[in-house]
Amino acid sequence: MPNVLHLLPYFVAAWLFFCGLYGIVSSKHLVHSVMCLAILQSSTYILLLSIGYRVGGAAPVFADIAPGKRTVDPVVQALMLTDVVVEAVVVALLLAMVVKAHERSGTVSPDELRTLRG
Amino acid sequence: MREAVRTRLFFIFGGIFFLLFCYAAVDLPPWGSYRGPYGDVIARVGVYERHATDAVNAVNYDYRAFDTLGEEFILFAAVLGVMMLLRREEGASTHDVGRVVDKLHLSTTVRAIAMLAILVTVVFGFYIGLHGQLTPGGGFQAGVILASVPFLLYVCENTESFRRITSHSAVEVMEALGAGSYALIGLSPLIIGAPFLTNFLPLGKTGDVFSSGTIALISACIGLEVTAAFLLVGYTYLEEIITGEIPEE
Amino acid sequence: MTAPSPLTPLPVAVPLAGAALLACLRKWLNRTVADTLGIALAAATLLISCFLLASAMHGNSIYWFGNWFPRYSIVLGIGFAVEPIGVGLAVLASTLTLLSLVYSWRLTDSGSNHFQPLMLIFLAAMGGFSLTVDVFNLFVFFELMSTAAFALCGLKTREPAPLQGSFNFAVTNTIAAFLILTSIGFLYAMTGALNMAQIGLALGSRHDPCVLFAFTLMICGFFIKAAMVPFHFWLPDAHAVAPTPVCVLFSGLMVQLGLFAVARLRFIIFAQTFATHEEALQLILLSMGVVTVLIGGVMCYAEHHLKRMLAFSTICHAGIMLLAIALGSPVALAAMMVYLVAHAFIKGGLFFTSGLLLHRLRAIGERALFAKGKGLSWTAALWFLGAAGLAAAPPFLLMTGEAGISSAAEEMGRPWISWACLFGGAITAAAVLRIGMHTFFGWGVEPITDEAAEVGELPETAREDRRTFWYRFAPATACVLIPILLAGLQVWQGVLRDASSVFTSQAGMLHLVYTGSTVAKHLPGWSEALRGSTVRGIIAFLLAVLLACTSVFRLNLKRSLRLGAFLESGIRPLRVLQSGHPGDYVLWLTIGLASLSAASVLLLRR
Repeated sequence: MPNVLHLLPYFVAAWLFFCGLYGIVSSKHLVHSVMCLAILQSSTYILLLSIGYRVGGAAPVFADIAPGKRTVDPVVQALMLTDVVVEAVVVALLLAMVVKAHERSGTVSPDELRTLRG
Repeated sequence: MREAVRTRLFFIFGGIFFLLFCYAAVDLPPWGSYRGPYGDVIARVGVYERHATDAVNAVNYDYRAFDTLGEEFILFAAVLGVMMLLRREEGASTHDVGRVVDKLHLSTTVRAIAMLAILVTVVFGFYIGLHGQLTPGGGFQAGVILASVPFLLYVCENTESFRRITSHSAVEVMEALGAGSYALIGLSPLIIGAPFLTNFLPLGKTGDVFSSGTIALISACIGLEVTAAFLLVGYTYLEEIITGEIPEE
Repeated sequence: MTAPSPLTPLPVAVPLAGAALLACLRKWLNRTVADTLGIALAAATLLISCFLLASAMHGNSIYWFGNWFPRYSIVLGIGFAVEPIGVGLAVLASTLTLLSLVYSWRLTDSGSNHFQPLMLIFLAAMGGFSLTVDVFNLFVFFELMSTAAFALCGLKTREPAPLQGSFNFAVTNTIAAFLILTSIGFLYAMTGALNMAQIGLALGSRHDPCVLFAFTLMICGFFIKAAMVPFHFWLPDAHAVAPTPVCVLFSGLMVQLGLFAVARLRFIIFAQTFATHEEALQLILLSMGVVTVLIGGVMCYAEHHLKRMLAFSTICHAGIMLLAIALGSPVALAAMMVYLVAHAFIKGGLFFTSGLLLHRLRAIGERALFAKGKGLSWTAALWFLGAAGLAAAPPFLLMTGEAGISSAAEEMGRPWISWACLFGGAITAAAVLRIGMHTFFGWGVEPITDEAAEVGELPETAREDRRTFWYRFAPATACVLIPILLAGLQVWQGVLRDASSVFTSQAGMLHLVYTGSTVAKHLPGWSEALRGSTVRGIIAFLLAVLLACTSVFRLNLKRSLRLGAFLESGIRPLRVLQSGHPGDYVLWLTIGLASLSAASVLLLRR
């Protein structure tokens, strides 16, 4: 039976994913839905970062350590850090849609906005 | 669908998905024991091959620079989208939603500390941006830090100074230049027959600020673009809130 | 080793650089200059992609960005595979974008010149998506494609329908992106690699729950993009709010690229994983495809808003393409690519024609258009030819694709797939024919209508502009004529078949990635199946005409024969599900995700 501590970050990522999806499904306010997308984002980041971690590994910056030393994985960090900044602006785009929807119809509740039925 | 039905169905199926996720994660390598070859190879050779001591930025701006080009253009497209969505339409009426009253008298202490904070932020932002290849940092982080400077002005001074800075057409030009120059830096090696985004500039001495060839240059372009992008988004939102429309310059 | 062509990065780099240039000069360029520059850049990309295709036909090669070649078996950089299928999709992307930009010349509103750079970015993303063999690069281009698409949906901000359609689109596709990223995390943890061929090699024939779950996550992410049932709810809403040229790109190519990615997964990354459970995998994918065809077809006929109807027909045909991928043989894949190209042009032609109707008749709902189209002969001709094309009738390329799918289905012992294709073609063509009969001939009585059709859409052109200029007709005509032309030329189909023999073999792709060249095997054609296909195509078209007539002339028929009218009013439970509420859509997404994961983990493990 694997040690739960060894798998905890993955379970946390799974739980965050579940919470994010729950938030969107039960949301009554479009801004709240967009923030739940940000929660989904965090879930993927936690998963990626915990995959790259190495116990006892240094940061992958060789300014003051020799290049042969044990470090954590730099690739996942690289994948993630551009994503964080970019997703922030994509969230801004979604929020702009919400602002526009509010301007057009005076409401931000998904239940009241339904003219695209059928 | 009624809300209660939706939530109940979600708990069933979402719960199944959550349990399957955990079940699958059991077979992953345990946390803290990264074994894969990719990261290790780069950590070992990155310093020698590219004279860049920060392996993360070496990956971002050299080994996988093409991905970063794509990500940068995602940011670019998102900003274009925000500007297009919240643009002024011809014939639309302005509605005065919360006219800004810029007559608050802030105490001198607040303004002095704000100026100090702005000075420190600007210096710190440039430091982070220029040292991306040596220590954690680089274009994206520097862009976000530098973009916070006009927002500090907005908080500590008044809206007019913020608008004066961010409504200038130079901001848009800067953004497009930042994005375009990354693509052009990538296209330049094609002239000498090397593949796109090859690091063709002299690599310099490891540990110098001006080292690792195009990594530093690309980082600077991205810093320019990210700063301008956040300023544009901030300006567009502010105008939307204040006037309900974006004035065309 | 074949030296890769130096033109390889250009289908992505040129539109991106051009978009930056257009955005830089945005405020100072007037509309005409901006439009011209956009068209010029799209045309340049088309030219470059054609040259690249010519070089790909000489021999496959791989292009390493940054000059990072693989070391031993570890791939360090990002690679583009220059082989006819991927480059062919890039050519298709540039062609459709060029036609869309020509169509949108002086369309009322260019979003203060934001529209042209966004279209170019969209083009670059589609090109990069088809060429890349790196799984994270695929994710980046997926995100770029999605973000440009969300942004383009924001062009029409004065619509009577609020921007809810683009919000639903954005939320579901962003969840898709996160699913793909999670799956990339799993794959990276298991193999330490980000290159598709290297991951495939490292996974080997492992099929523990971890691998299967990663497979399901990634495939669900791409199914959301490909609008498979139950992930399809966002597509009609997005089409209802997007401007016409953007709809062409969505239905013509963006949705199908999701299926292309599924093909890459199935044939390169997870090729050996399912070697022992091929039947079970086929069962899962085929059932999904059939459900999509049925629901897509039935909902298509029940729609009265032209663009939503065409969106559902895209879902139906995408289901047919999934059936082809599910079969898994090289012939099936080659047939699916032919079907994809044909469908892209025909659907594009139909969307352009609906744009023409919106322009001339200022309406997009079936009741609003009733009998107003009498006298529009060219538009009517394009519309009816498009219907014939959808039914896979003889002169069109779709029939050749359908022939290939049927012949592959016969080989795999599943001949009922041809009947699914026939159903899909017939019902979608019937919907198009019904609308055509009502609009252009004014036959029958006032059509049934629904809420969405009543809401309608604002016209995209200025009222003063009553004439229809050649640049609005030309893209529609081109889109309808090209499939007829391509059906006649046999050369490119031979190239496609040989290319798919490399595409579908993991060993072939490994060879390409690590040594830079491949040996293409020659695949026989499916010309014997063409006869059967011609017959089926004609039957499908006749059935479509019959069904449309029972709808149009419903008052002249006995109650029991009014099949068309019955289908037209829609099957109530299905209509209720398409509710426009993002929470509902995400719930169905979760249901699909949970069911697929459970099915794969239970059925496909050791």
